[in-house]
Amino acid sequence: MRTFFKIFGNKRAITPVLSSLLLTVVAVAAMAIATSATYVITTNLRETISERVIVEDVWFNNYTNSIDIYVRNVGQVTVYISAIFVNHTSQSFPSPFTLEIEDHQWLNISQNWIPNSSYYVDVLTTRGTHVAAYYEAP
Amino acid sequence: MLLLTMKRLRLDKRGISNVIVVMLSLVLVVIIVSNVISTSYQMNQFDWERMQENVEIVNVAKTIEGTILTLQNKGSVTVHLVSLWIDNTTSHQRYDMDLYVNAGDSANYTLSDMALVDNASIVKVITERGTISVFNASWQNP
Repeated sequence: MRTFFKIFGNKRAITPVLSSLLLTVVAVAAMAIATSATYVITTNLRETISERVIVEDVWFNNYTNSIDIYVRNVGQVTVYISAIFVNHTSQSFPSPFTLEIEDHQWLNISQNWIPNSSYYVDVLTTRGTHVAAYYEAP
Repeated sequence: MLLLTMKRLRLDKRGISNVIVVMLSLVLVVIIVSNVISTSYQMNQFDWERMQENVEIVNVAKTIEGTILTLQNKGSVTVHLVSLWIDNTTSHQRYDMDLYVNAGDSANYTLSDMALVDNASIVKVITERGTISVFNASWQNP
């Protein structure tokens, strides 16, 4: 009992212990934030570098009066299509449109087109990759 | 003299935290740089291989057995063909394909179930890396 009171009654040297503890907590928190930031930045950079998309085919569809684009993910990350431009004009499309690795599917745009005209089709991903080319309507 | 210096350095604890911070920061920087460089290297390799791909559709023949595509790999890497397209004014038909052609080799690919049309068509093959090879075919009945 005397020892207990001796230990807990003694208030000397508490401040250095507290300051050391506080410093440790701050240091650990700072390193955790730095590590998280590193992970996020590295992941974003890696994903942006690894993104590859191609347009396999563009069909100026007579039956549906639409422009159908067949896209394929040939990269190493999942691709999210964020916008499609036809002649620099944004088009509506079934959103969200996601392409897993090695995935491929049609992307249909309801857009009137004129035969024998050229169209500049630009597919844009959320990470900023552009796949653009000129296509001629039949 | 040397012993004294050693003893003094061993007892002097000042500046240790700075060294630890620098070491940890260095580890973080090394992780970031190595990760990004590694990915960049892989994708450069991918792009380089894609540039080396040169597959050509030499001929498309319509026979009784079906449609025979003659393909030639004129590039310096093996190509893996994954898609085949038959495009004409009325339809754009895609077929799954799984054919490897070694560098410098030729290969025939027969399609027995292909719905053929008797007019001008565009035949395309797509590789796994994304290279597209196009052939303008004029279909003739056998």
